[in-house]
Amino acid sequence: MIVEFKNIYKNFNAVKALQDVSLTIGDSEIHGLLGENGAGKSTLMNILGGVLPPTSGSIIIDGVKYESLNPTQAKELGINFIHQELNLVNDLKVFENLFINREVTKYKFYLDKEYMIEKSYEIFNRMNISIDPKVYVRELDTLQKQLVEIARAILFESELIIMDEPTTALTNTEIENLFTIMKDLKSQGISCIYISHKMPELFAICDKYTVLRNGKFIQSGDFKDIDEHKATELLVGRSIIEERDIKKESINSEPIYEVKNLTCEPFFRDISFSLKKGEVIAITGLFGDGRGELSEALFGARKVDSGKIIKDGKTLPLSSIRRVMKSGVGMIPRNRKERSIIKDMNIMNNVSMAHFNAKHKKPIISYSEELERFRVNQKVTNIKVGSPKDPITSLSGGNQQKVIFARWFELNSDVYILDNPTQGIDVGAKFEIYKLINDLTNKGKSVIIFTSEFPEIYKTSNRCIVMYKGEINKIIPHNQLSERDVMYYSTGSNRKENEDE
Amino acid sequence: MSKLKSFFKSINKENTKIFFKEKGKPFLKNIAINHNYVISLILLLILGQIASSNFLSFGSLVNLMRSSVVIGIIALGMSLVILSGNIDLSVGSMLALTAANTALVYNSSESIIVSLFFALIFGAFLGFINGIFVGKAKVAAFIVTLATMAAYRSLTVQQGQGGPILINQEAYYGKLREIGYGRFLEIPYIVWIFIIVTLLIIFMMSKTKFGRYVYAVGSNEKAAKLSGINVDRIKIYIFSMTGLLTGLAAFLYVSRFGSVDTATAGKSFELDAIAAVAIGGTSMAGGKGFVQGTFFGIIVIYAIDAVLTSFRVPSFVNDLIKGILILGAVLMQKVLNARRQAE
Repeated sequence: MIVEFKNIYKNFNAVKALQDVSLTIGDSEIHGLLGENGAGKSTLMNILGGVLPPTSGSIIIDGVKYESLNPTQAKELGINFIHQELNLVNDLKVFENLFINREVTKYKFYLDKEYMIEKSYEIFNRMNISIDPKVYVRELDTLQKQLVEIARAILFESELIIMDEPTTALTNTEIENLFTIMKDLKSQGISCIYISHKMPELFAICDKYTVLRNGKFIQSGDFKDIDEHKATELLVGRSIIEERDIKKESINSEPIYEVKNLTCEPFFRDISFSLKKGEVIAITGLFGDGRGELSEALFGARKVDSGKIIKDGKTLPLSSIRRVMKSGVGMIPRNRKERSIIKDMNIMNNVSMAHFNAKHKKPIISYSEELERFRVNQKVTNIKVGSPKDPITSLSGGNQQKVIFARWFELNSDVYILDNPTQGIDVGAKFEIYKLINDLTNKGKSVIIFTSEFPEIYKTSNRCIVMYKGEINKIIPHNQLSERDVMYYSTGSNRKENEDE
Repeated sequence: MSKLKSFFKSINKENTKIFFKEKGKPFLKNIAINHNYVISLILLLILGQIASSNFLSFGSLVNLMRSSVVIGIIALGMSLVILSGNIDLSVGSMLALTAANTALVYNSSESIIVSLFFALIFGAFLGFINGIFVGKAKVAAFIVTLATMAAYRSLTVQQGQGGPILINQEAYYGKLREIGYGRFLEIPYIVWIFIIVTLLIIFMMSKTKFGRYVYAVGSNEKAAKLSGINVDRIKIYIFSMTGLLTGLAAFLYVSRFGSVDTATAGKSFELDAIAAVAIGGTSMAGGKGFVQGTFFGIIVIYAIDAVLTSFRVPSFVNDLIKGILILGAVLMQKVLNARRQAE
């Protein structure tokens, strides 16, 4: 399928989301679409998927000109969309989700469940994953949900698959499986539009690239002609200072935060480590390592079976989040939209949330004091806002995350637990977040960062804890870090070798 | 008349301050978008005036206000519950049970202060029971309050053996009736009480940490919890506070009517209260809305009644027309909200 966008404009009232965008996606081509959040990638794809009509311009598909599409037309043309947000119905089973709105029936009314379940097994086998089609989607974790979402798009005959950040929750093995399938599809003449913030993935799988910035077309070309550095520059429109000066010398202070034999069955057991002043520890692993639950437990948001945490010589009161906060521990949770953002509140009120709980003594709020505090925090975290009273949802993902950082920086905690802090934000904002982490350690704060991205581990941490099936498998110091080793330990390969012996 | 005007002006002044601070948009545009129930109210008042030239007289406006008070105070409590993402269906039964017992307490004590405190504490206790089940036992508020709605009503009817509970006439005419019918500056006491309570709740919701927490819990409970808010406790507080306000409403109810018909008192009050919150522009999903909207919302509901009466619409179809107007008002808000978001 050859898709040609011609002079596409899209306005949302005063906001010009797309201005004169033209590009072509060829037959059997994996086309990487690059751009920061708010660059117009999703808008463009929604136009192709028939979700939004363009303000002006046209789409030419295999020589046929369309002024606009509707979702049914798009489906009939074989355009399938894997959305960034998970579009699954939690209360239906996996196979029912796969076939939703395209159910297979016997005698017109009777659902042919056996056939659908069989087909579901087939597709999962092809993707080399083991998900039972008969369980409820509710019981799956984010990673499995994302895989189901992908399976849904390739289950039916497609000509073009749009993937909007399909790998945010996937581990490297699954990503490789996905890439194998994509190559397979490509050889069958199916094209793919691949949207991602992850440069290594784009370079690994895509043939062509197109960069959008602020709703405008910047450049198209072959990936083989550019490198990651160049791509990042195109994306951001300025060059980025790459490396942070990580304190490579060992930190020889007393431990400030000691975790002792923390256990929460069935997620993790016997976790012990200690964090020193000014140190950054990264905790990584693969699906099923109990990382997410551990991050909650470290902050008192999840009940543990046994074990304790000692901070400044005192046992942390894990039963109350508020008291943990008061003891000098702050946490930026994963999944910003679900766990951090209070969507009906304005930016300033969002920042104040943690402060009111831990620091604010009086019951009554002073507007001027709140504004003053906001201004200070805004400077520290470099939030770009029109008015502090704008709704939080008007900000881009990166700026939202900076608001959340501001919320916690304000508490001036000694230890910060960051759970996947750069999830779904663009390259430019990522670097700003790394800079913030750097600022923290310069002030003598300690950080525990939960992440699955190796470059992030490398750029931020002094030590890296690799987890495997709920246990600490290996602690790697910064000077011995390599992506191969992190993978080796997080897949538990060392243990398998031992078992074999 | 002039006093009433100045009174409305003073309310508006109070509100404009809040409006301006909240949004910083031009006043009229802000009213049209965020507080369009004011427009509904003005339209209704104009309609009423067309129907009967007496409609905008001081006397009938005061009557309009006075009839809104009991449900109005309940609706204020309902706003808190709804803003926190919950619902309380038991307010009508809670009112009846509290009113019945307050009447009994007044009969034996003949003291206004004792009865008032009794009503407040008893109401708060009934609300607290709701709160414990919702906050600690994590049962859906709809179910908990559906159950207590039936239970509280049944207790009330049992107490009155199906009939009314009367207040000792002598004691009533001596003192308590004065609360229900007395006036200060031409305006009934109970209307003053309603206005003061409204202002207090507006203050609480916009200027205190507690108010902020209520919005946070209603908007994103998980995020609120991870910011250190004790969500369970906030829910218990909210339901107890709704009970407290219902207790106050029960006290005013008793002082106004002098008797409580155990089977019918407060019946379907929860529906009018929810309707007032909806007309006032508060999101039923929680987290978004203003208490001042509920204040006007309940007046709008009673204005609808009054307008229909002045047009001599047969009272059997009153609720039909009320239903249509409520849907219309809420739809209008949806449209305006969609437009605002597009902007």
